[in-house]
Amino acid sequence: MAYNKPIPPQGQHTKPFWEGAKAGKLMLPRCRDCNRVHWYPRLICPFCHSTDLEWIEGSGKGRLHTFAVQHRAFGGWAEEVPYVTAYIDLDEGDRMMTVLRGVDPTKPEEIEIGTRVEVEFEQANDDTFIPFWRVSEAAGD
Amino acid sequence: MGAPNLSNAAAIVGAAESDVIGYPEDLTGHKVTSLQHHIQAIKNVSVQTGIPIADIQGIFSAGWSGELAEHLGLRPRYLDTTSVGGCSFQIHVHHALAAIHAGIIDIALVSHGEAGWSYRGGGGGGGGRGQVSPGAEMTAAYGTFGAPSQYAHAMVRHFHRFGTTQEDFAHIAVVTRDWAQLNPRGVMFGKTQSPFGGPITVQDVLDARLIAWPLTLYHCCLVSDHGGAVIVARPEIARSLSTNPVWVTGAGESMGHQNILEMEDFTATSASRSSATAYKMAGLGPADMEMAMIYDSFTITAGITAEMLGLAPRGEGYTLWKNGDAAPGGRLPINTNGGGLSFNHSGMYGMQLLVEAYRQLSRTAEDGVNGIEGKQTQATTCVVNGTGGTLSTTGTLVLTSDDR
Repeated sequence: MAYNKPIPPQGQHTKPFWEGAKAGKLMLPRCRDCNRVHWYPRLICPFCHSTDLEWIEGSGKGRLHTFAVQHRAFGGWAEEVPYVTAYIDLDEGDRMMTVLRGVDPTKPEEIEIGTRVEVEFEQANDDTFIPFWRVSEAAGD
Repeated sequence: MGAPNLSNAAAIVGAAESDVIGYPEDLTGHKVTSLQHHIQAIKNVSVQTGIPIADIQGIFSAGWSGELAEHLGLRPRYLDTTSVGGCSFQIHVHHALAAIHAGIIDIALVSHGEAGWSYRGGGGGGGGRGQVSPGAEMTAAYGTFGAPSQYAHAMVRHFHRFGTTQEDFAHIAVVTRDWAQLNPRGVMFGKTQSPFGGPITVQDVLDARLIAWPLTLYHCCLVSDHGGAVIVARPEIARSLSTNPVWVTGAGESMGHQNILEMEDFTATSASRSSATAYKMAGLGPADMEMAMIYDSFTITAGITAEMLGLAPRGEGYTLWKNGDAAPGGRLPINTNGGGLSFNHSGMYGMQLLVEAYRQLSRTAEDGVNGIEGKQTQATTCVVNGTGGTLSTTGTLVLTSDDR
């Protein structure tokens, strides 16, 4: 079935991210001056205000920072309720939003903050592979 | 008293432009976006003046101030995003002059970025101009719609950090509903306005349908219509009128983020900073506040904000409602109009807060129309805090009554 959920419009400053996603890589912006990874992508380092930025391939691993279970949605997402939205603390630093997979949305009390998660990509169209995160098989490390 | 003399109260200390203007393409052959023009010009004026970007305290732009502050990782204490066409930037300088003269900030940034040619065809006056907010781009895919879908994440983090529960926050909805029973104009005043009106119990809140776990319907504000206005005048005028003045004793503002993706601590808002500024100006502290009007878009908003305002210890904001302090007749009345939860919430609820704070401190809270017996408090001080965006921007006022 064709992907029926919102597909983000791609800005021109984020091409490396979307190119990487096509190849199954989680590309992250990093500052060459202060060496910190930031998310979302910037034109200037939000920590030290250097404009000497680069893209690195991230590990695609992180921890669950917080979540919610969506019971009301629109468009393609309405067919998926309930589903779990989440914020992921990346191992490289800073935080990414996602829909979390590998959890039971009807048992939110069993979802553990801090649990290990891994990225995966789903193809939405020819140019867009969207990152989703899943609770790691070997959770707890 | 005449108008204060702002002459020479501030100076423009630098001016720069983006790297390539006119008909630019960037190094990869792409058009340059409005956001790029902004960021390049800001970087260049920082280099020119030697003033680090981190030292900027106030951001003035035609509609971009929140986006720019977040992109730069700044937490400004003065935000002005006045957008009234081409003269906006002269007006920004005027506003910055006033803010500096008032002692609120020392360093103001006025910024403009507009890819008017590269993205022509959209008409004048701004528009997208090549801009896709990178924060929005990286969150658009994930099926969050409207405020509750996002605020729920904050409540879950509060549970995790402080051991709080849905039931703890449900007390906020129950007590606020009790206040609405004293306000005939409240949407949830009795059954007259709504079949769902009248008092509710904690169990009602827990049993209501889920919107975004852990938020049930009764953890969420109303969606209703509202119009409101206030007039602010200088003391001589205030004294000459027949109405009771309510004094703006303290004021402060701040922001933590624009996109909740950038919220550093999901259990804390910039109200800690905006209220610190307001309390300092007022020479008063949280312990001096005798009532509070707190933005309650959701129970979690009110609970967290009570903590940020210093009215309760961290993690314990909800106890003000649970133990009855915030209730009618309580030690610290909160949201005496019935709140966004049960009185009225039109989307931007800050005006409703202001109107009720005025009514309480001007002793007009029981006029029979906007309040019946039991609604008027004896408070002589009130902290008013508005929250905008997604737990993003905050403004705090410390208001005091004329009979204080």
